[in-house]
Amino acid sequence: MDAKYIALAQMAVGGGLMGMAYALVAYGFQLTYAAGKAVNFGQGELVMLGAFTGISLAGSGLPYGVSVLGAMVAGAALGWFVERVAVRLALKQHNEGWILLTIIVGLFALSFVENIWGRDDRPFPVPWPAAPLDFYGISVTWPELAIAMGALGIMIFVELAKRYTMAGIAVQAVSADPEAAELCGVRSSSAISLSWAVSGAAAAFAGTVIGPVTTVGPTMAAALTLKAFSVAVVAGLDSGFGLVIAGIALGAAENLSGYVLGSGWREAPGLLLLILALALRPQGIFGKKIIRKV
Amino acid sequence: MFTGVDLGLKENTAERIVRIVLFIGLGALPAFWQGQYALGLLTLMAVYGVLLIGLDATVGYLGQVNLAQAALFGLGAYGTALAVQAGASFPLALIAGVIAALLPGAALALPALRLEGPQFALSTLSFATLSVIVLNESESITHGALGLSIVRPSLFTVALDARGFYWLCLVVLFMSWWVSQLLLKSRFGLSIEALRDSPTATDALGIGTLRHKVLAFAWGSALAGLAGALHALNFGYLQPAAFGYDLMVMLLLGVVFGGRRSQWGAFAGAAVVAMLPNLLSNRTLFSTLVSFGCILTLFPIFRSLISRKVPAFKEAAPAVAMAAALILSLFANNVEEWRKGIFALFLFAAVVGLPDGLAGAVVSALHKLIRFTPDPLPPVSGGFRPAGISVSEPLHVLKLSKSFGGVRAVDNVTLDIGQDEILGLIGPNGSGKTTFINLVSGLYAPDSGTIEIAGTRPLPGSLMSASSAGAARTFQNLQPFSGLTALESILVCQHDGGKSEAMGWLRVVALEEKARQRCSEMSYGDLRFLEIARALATRPRLLMLDEPAAGMSKPDIARLVDLVVSIKRAGVPILLIEHHQDVVAELCDRVAVMDGGRLIALGTSDQVRHNPKVIEAYLGADDDHTSVQSKSEPQLC
Repeated sequence: MDAKYIALAQMAVGGGLMGMAYALVAYGFQLTYAAGKAVNFGQGELVMLGAFTGISLAGSGLPYGVSVLGAMVAGAALGWFVERVAVRLALKQHNEGWILLTIIVGLFALSFVENIWGRDDRPFPVPWPAAPLDFYGISVTWPELAIAMGALGIMIFVELAKRYTMAGIAVQAVSADPEAAELCGVRSSSAISLSWAVSGAAAAFAGTVIGPVTTVGPTMAAALTLKAFSVAVVAGLDSGFGLVIAGIALGAAENLSGYVLGSGWREAPGLLLLILALALRPQGIFGKKIIRKV
Repeated sequence: MFTGVDLGLKENTAERIVRIVLFIGLGALPAFWQGQYALGLLTLMAVYGVLLIGLDATVGYLGQVNLAQAALFGLGAYGTALAVQAGASFPLALIAGVIAALLPGAALALPALRLEGPQFALSTLSFATLSVIVLNESESITHGALGLSIVRPSLFTVALDARGFYWLCLVVLFMSWWVSQLLLKSRFGLSIEALRDSPTATDALGIGTLRHKVLAFAWGSALAGLAGALHALNFGYLQPAAFGYDLMVMLLLGVVFGGRRSQWGAFAGAAVVAMLPNLLSNRTLFSTLVSFGCILTLFPIFRSLISRKVPAFKEAAPAVAMAAALILSLFANNVEEWRKGIFALFLFAAVVGLPDGLAGAVVSALHKLIRFTPDPLPPVSGGFRPAGISVSEPLHVLKLSKSFGGVRAVDNVTLDIGQDEILGLIGPNGSGKTTFINLVSGLYAPDSGTIEIAGTRPLPGSLMSASSAGAARTFQNLQPFSGLTALESILVCQHDGGKSEAMGWLRVVALEEKARQRCSEMSYGDLRFLEIARALATRPRLLMLDEPAAGMSKPDIARLVDLVVSIKRAGVPILLIEHHQDVVAELCDRVAVMDGGRLIALGTSDQVRHNPKVIEAYLGADDDHTSVQSKSEPQLC
């Protein structure tokens, strides 16, 4: 095959694997949107905090697996915290204040990270072999594979838990109709908190798998929120695995446009497509059409 | 009880006086607070003031979180800078800045404003990121990250010094403030408030939701461009990174902190955004201010502790945030490093503790201290006019069908309404009555069939088009404009006429005494009558009432019957959905019965009542068929 096409394919595969991480963060958006019709505009900051927590835990001598778990626990706690301080009140008052409040909490998190961990990018240490795998001339590194495996693993695990555990079914009931669920004895605020905690854990996990590929720094947050949100909206905020397709597509598009148009333009086509997708199909490509009722 | 000092002033007059005093004070300030640095800060405040007044148009008035304003500001600045480089004069450069923001703003508004809430916020965020990328990467034009330098041209023949430029910025701020206020207090502004509460109702009443949203957004973008132009002429050096996410967050938070839906709030926010970085560098002053803020947030906590309640989240959270800010301001090694964090804490306290911002808090405190003279109620005139002569049928529906998934909600319905006729539409719950009205009024597009309203065929699925054809409706589940008063609700619906005519419509439904009451404070029955008055104010050629008597008290129902009779007498044909059989029997010339989406009977009330199909439909659907009670629970029809 032509060397140019191989390079393009290499770009697409690398981007697609990275896109799985966007899909995972986007999955966190879906979880909270289903439960309480709100998402965290500071989710990228959660990813970043997860990554830094992982680095610090690993740096203190803990094994890799334990560091990742620790980061996820921290992420769950932060997700719960964001829901409690920034979202609950605003949703009770039926206003859009939660958008502002989650931005504000994210801003604080950013400042916190800048002052505690510093402004420099850091590598994330991993135990995987350094040599990449080779598939017909396209090389895939172990950290990239870890993103894909981890993202799919977490999504499948949570989806199964949603279907086959009492807590998961309760969360589904609350997303269908919070008042009816309350009448059946489900405490909807707890179900919403649980969704936010799981979403936070997923974000933190995403941080621990993105970190080894990109490095970890305070600048990663804002871009990640936007990308993951794009994936969630294009796929539909209520559609399950459309995310994975949208995530892979965005990741690949990003890498390819960076390669073809120059690295500064990496994000441009994705953003343009996002605005168009929103304009043409606000419910998302895989989402269901909303019927207005009066 | 202390009821406040009566100044014998109208609130508007008082506000105008204070505003003019403020601007005179700001104009004189450089004489007392001297130095290049102070002048720079004041200029920045004025520029931000223009920018935030623009941002408030979307964030405050439209109620949508707009994350594109910083980018539009940047585009305006670059537009002006490039125009100056090309040798444009001062006024031309300003115009270039406005256009450079307005055109992309309009291009964004058309798709984005069909969206709501998080989707809208996201599309503006994408636009903002995209703009910064374009500014950064178009190096041949903007010099990318290296930045662009310009020299301020002279205004006609006067070369403006820093003080002169500051005064110019003040004039621009004053004008933007004044025009925004006029615009947003006008019928245009009322419409925007109305569509925030119920976009469906504003479309159904022909006010035009999208049009108003786009105009509001365009106004905000134009101000962003103007502010950007001033910014470029002020600094003379631009870099794309300055217009990124950080600035956006600051601006957004400035508006919220100052107070939404208020030019005073935008100005207060601008002052905070411009001055805060400066305050942070003076540690003593800063800690003093934070301590003061911290003490203020403690008051609500004490109040609930005195009444022996555990402080609610809304009361406790601001105090915790301010306490954290205080700790940071006292103990952090470098307060400026924590700038974003401290700003976040302030804003958190403000958003949670002062939902209406600084301006809102000050205004409500002033209302407790001072009593203002209310505007007199306008005189009453207008009301029904003799109907215009119309030859075509008010409503002609042919073979109309609509399915939702597998459910045929309306199935092959053909129906006409004649001049001066009241047609009743009845049927068991879920028989398709409301869907029928939703189709005729344009909320849904039919799958097949045609609708003709007063001789014209509206675009399928367009509320606006049906409304301009002459249809007007009320809603089974009330769609009030909660933020408006009764009088204002009518005003926004009128195509012509002023306040006296609006009072006339209120008199028709006997609500003229409550003209100044906010819809959010009105009773359920009054709101139902107000919806009818709203529909009448559009001077419809077909009025559709969707269960107007639902949930009404006996005396109100009697009032309603009289009202409908008088509407008919004025020559407006009516399509009436109603569950109260006595009301239907008394009012309707003909009655159509629907069941399972089909029209099963059509005739006089008596004929229909003895139709075996109708009896079967009601028996099969409802045990209590002899007197079909009104049901107030929402139903999907």
